Amino acid sequence: MKMNQQMLLLISPLINLNMKKGNIWVIIPAYNEEKLIGKVIRKTKRYIDNIIVVDDGSRDRTYDVAVRNRINSLKHIVNLGKGAAIKTGCEFAMKNGAEAIILLDADAQHDPKEIPNFLKSLKDVDIVFGYRKPSKQMPLILRYGNWFINKATNLLYNLSLRDTQCGYRAFTRKAYKKIKWEASDYSLESEIIANVGKKRLKYKEIPIQTIYSDKYKGTTILDGVKIVLNMVWWKLTRH
Amino acid sequence: MVLGIQILGSLFGIFMIYYTFLHHKRRELTTKEYSFWLALWILFIIVAVFPQILDPIVKSLSLVRTMDFFIILGFMFLIGSLFYTYTIVRKNQNKLEEIVRKIAIERRK
Repeated sequence: MKMNQQMLLLISPLINLNMKKGNIWVIIPAYNEEKLIGKVIRKTKRYIDNIIVVDDGSRDRTYDVAVRNRINSLKHIVNLGKGAAIKTGCEFAMKNGAEAIILLDADAQHDPKEIPNFLKSLKDVDIVFGYRKPSKQMPLILRYGNWFINKATNLLYNLSLRDTQCGYRAFTRKAYKKIKWEASDYSLESEIIANVGKKRLKYKEIPIQTIYSDKYKGTTILDGVKIVLNMVWWKLTRH
Repeated sequence: MVLGIQILGSLFGIFMIYYTFLHHKRRELTTKEYSFWLALWILFIIVAVFPQILDPIVKSLSLVRTMDFFIILGFMFLIGSLFYTYTIVRKNQNKLEEIVRKIAIERRK
């Protein structure tokens, strides 16, 4: 195990160089994240050149921080939701010929050092899902809420995913066209999965480390209920 | 004999005519829309004052009272309006999202 880690450390600059050449884009949707967004961008820059931050109508200086870091900075003039922000980023990346897209949260929950693993796994499948290893750091309400959503999703779409609500994902250009979502809020994560299930896309899960910086942000209980109801609705109405 | 509910219905109809007229004068309703709503409120007042004109319809639907007919009609109208409002909201939501996205991409820094 230690040997593998040492090898990865040795070859990681080569992997990074290769990734920086490809048309791979990282999309970071952000809402009121002025404190953490800079750190996330700097860490991501080590692995990927094409970074898009979509400021979803923040009231703080999130957008200014992104612009200062000299990356592609897009701003929604009003808050639309995470799903809409990611879609804006994806549309921009597609227009610029993106071959693959990686989604990353702006609150430093996801460590950009996992990007090489995502890209490596993406070679064999259409979409790669990150899954958070069970940890005591995860707020209790999130842990049980996620468990319930996971069970419902897997049952409805005949999939076996360990973490349906993890936003750390990577997919190919071809896959994006098939999983394109309509949800403008947190339901996007489930809608992507619903579309993966319906279109029978090839997927893979890889473990990721998660840092919980703010336990009050993210999916609420009501969001969870809405997500499950949406899943049933999509199951009944989509082909 | 005129019942209290008939008076209330008529007063409501008159108030709605005034309200419709006000919107027309403010140029928020076109003449066509104004005529449609005016005709509807006048019809509402006529039916409120002379509910017996609905008797043939009420009997053919096997309903006992005209009031029941109104309640059923009201529910149908409410459910219809709910669906109509949902489609309008959804359409506007999509339009707003498209505009915001277009502006965001055009003003990229």
